[in-house]
Amino acid sequence: MSAKPDVIQKCLWPACLVGLFITGILSQNCALLNVHLSTVTWQNLKLLSNRSKPFPIECLQEKKAFELPQEILSHTQPVKRDIKKVFYEISSQVFNVFSQHTYKSAWEEKYLMEIQMGLNQQMEYLEQCLEEEEKESEDMKQMEEKIWSGAREPLLSNLELRRYFNRIGNFLKDKKYSQCAWEIVLVEIRRCVFYYFQKFTPLLRRK
Amino acid sequence: MYTLAHSFILCSLLQRPGMHNWIELPGCQYITGTTCDFSSVKLSVFEKIQLRIRAEKGNRTSPWHEVGSFIPFRKAQIGPPKVHLKAEDKAIIVNISPPGTKDSLMWAMDILSFTYSVVIWKNSSSVDERTETVYPGGKIYKLSPETTYCLKVKARLRLHRKVGSYSPVYCVNTTVENKLPSPENIEVDVKDQSYVLKWDYTYENMTFQAQWLRAYFKKILGNHSDKWQQIPGCENVRATQCVFPQKVFSKGAYFLRVQASDGNKTSFWSEEKRLDTEMQTVILPPVISMKSVDNSLHIYIGAPRETENKSTSQHYPLIYEIIFWENTSNAERKILQKKTDFIVPNLQPLTVYCVKARAVIEDEKWNKSSVFSDILCEKTKPGNTSITWIIAGVCTALFSIPVAIYVVKGLLRCINYVFFPSCKPPPNIDQCFSEQSLKNLLLSASEEQTERCFIIENSYSLVTVEETSQVDEDHKQYSSQTSRDSGNYSNEDENSGSKTSRELLQQGLV
Repeated sequence: MSAKPDVIQKCLWPACLVGLFITGILSQNCALLNVHLSTVTWQNLKLLSNRSKPFPIECLQEKKAFELPQEILSHTQPVKRDIKKVFYEISSQVFNVFSQHTYKSAWEEKYLMEIQMGLNQQMEYLEQCLEEEEKESEDMKQMEEKIWSGAREPLLSNLELRRYFNRIGNFLKDKKYSQCAWEIVLVEIRRCVFYYFQKFTPLLRRK
Repeated sequence: MYTLAHSFILCSLLQRPGMHNWIELPGCQYITGTTCDFSSVKLSVFEKIQLRIRAEKGNRTSPWHEVGSFIPFRKAQIGPPKVHLKAEDKAIIVNISPPGTKDSLMWAMDILSFTYSVVIWKNSSSVDERTETVYPGGKIYKLSPETTYCLKVKARLRLHRKVGSYSPVYCVNTTVENKLPSPENIEVDVKDQSYVLKWDYTYENMTFQAQWLRAYFKKILGNHSDKWQQIPGCENVRATQCVFPQKVFSKGAYFLRVQASDGNKTSFWSEEKRLDTEMQTVILPPVISMKSVDNSLHIYIGAPRETENKSTSQHYPLIYEIIFWENTSNAERKILQKKTDFIVPNLQPLTVYCVKARAVIEDEKWNKSSVFSDILCEKTKPGNTSITWIIAGVCTALFSIPVAIYVVKGLLRCINYVFFPSCKPPPNIDQCFSEQSLKNLLLSASEEQTERCFIIENSYSLVTVEETSQVDEDHKQYSSQTSRDSGNYSNEDENSGSKTSRELLQQGLV
């Protein structure tokens, strides 16, 4: 089941605005980092929706359904930490995809650099926040091994995401990183990022 | 890699549970050992797979033994990373290659997410061990020159709670101490629209140069040493600082490093200082306004004045530190407030108090605050007490005037009663009298009816003896009055008194 193309338009602006409100919603523990995280997330969303030219029509025939996983958190009441981990996973996978791309124009080079910088920062902030929370709740001695442990296992959700990104990665490889393949993947990444931000921020806000 | 129980093994692979086309596992066909390696298979490591094995000998085959389904990624362990070391005098560059090969499927999506921790110790004594987290291509600092150091590295994937095994131990000698030490204590400050990069250096008369690198390059593998770029305005500077405009760096994180040179030789690069442009934003001081209310001050803290370039998107969680003091004394009082609208109570009336405030980030770790705002002074209003006395006085006056009037009136009445009594009889006295005549006599006091007495002529014997000279005159007088008199005597009310006098007169006449 793939989300309709107009999902992008419908949730573009709410998702963008939602990025702004992530601040007060995420954990109290790393309040300052959250401010930066939300700023960076917002910038990344803006960057992702910025393209110098519209989607080339000739690439439409190579379009592929990547099957965006809609239900990725197995529990009905996901904890904030799990949601952050999902965001972390998404950020790192998208960063991965972008790092493989070789730019063809100066504009693309600049665009890629900005996105990667933003994603890197997002990942770092999320890492730091999650680490801080772990430090506070876990015994310091056992921190080394248990640093990312939690009572629940969110691994299943991450695997769903990974399979999805695997499909994207394989598609790029098969098409030998052609320009069309790249454009299609960009559209897909945009869909994915907006979809998850739109889906999870109300959950974060509810707490 | 899987350990299998028998000789002549045939393995098969089921891609997804529920599907029944078993696929032959290349690298695991007709094995004589008990292990086989099927890494070359292009399968999705995130999908569940099932394996089955059987033994064959000649024509005979054993039944299939099915291994329970599993996800390869979950079961996988992280192997040792590959390490290449390069020594400086007080640091070692650790070039790490991620575990697995370049096209290993298992960690293909995680290559950039590995974190590496290094355990390093001096070869001579394994006691002082240090554990550090490094990026590939990262450096370990604060080492002694000309010493042998040994280290081992392990990779870990935090999100998946996977910790890899340690690499073998690698040892390296640090070089002879460089004549020129590297700059130390690199700091970055913000001033107006520029960054100020400062460092310390022991010697004088040196030139320095500074470089920058985008932080994410450290995550992306490969040799990024060619990606460092010169910071404009920081090439060949003689001072231990350089200033460059903020717009050199777009939003993001960077690493900065500095090198010293005396013309011939250069030092090694300093420790890399991370710069996060977002973290460097300056918090502007708030704008205060004050109002004096009775003997307290109502303070309002407003948003800082926006300068053109500062973005308003930074909604930091702030608390405010307010300092206020009496203008004449120096005793300062500090208040920490989160609300932007509050009252300072119980102050001295008619005193000038001064206030200044600054915004502080709520998270103590960051220790970031704005400069103090401008000082604002205000005088408190006159005391509460005098006002209430005035009001009370006015009210009392208003109440007391009619009361006083009433009292004075009463007094006057008393005085009048005592000293100036009125001759009016009590009003109910007419109830005591039934006869009209007596009533008239007693009650018609205002008319003052006097009884007129007349002396008639014939009774001169009595009169003449005493008043001879006067008789004629009286006679004349009385006779003129006779006619009038009779009216009186005909009055029936005058009983005894009038009758007796009449009888006397008549006797006198006869």
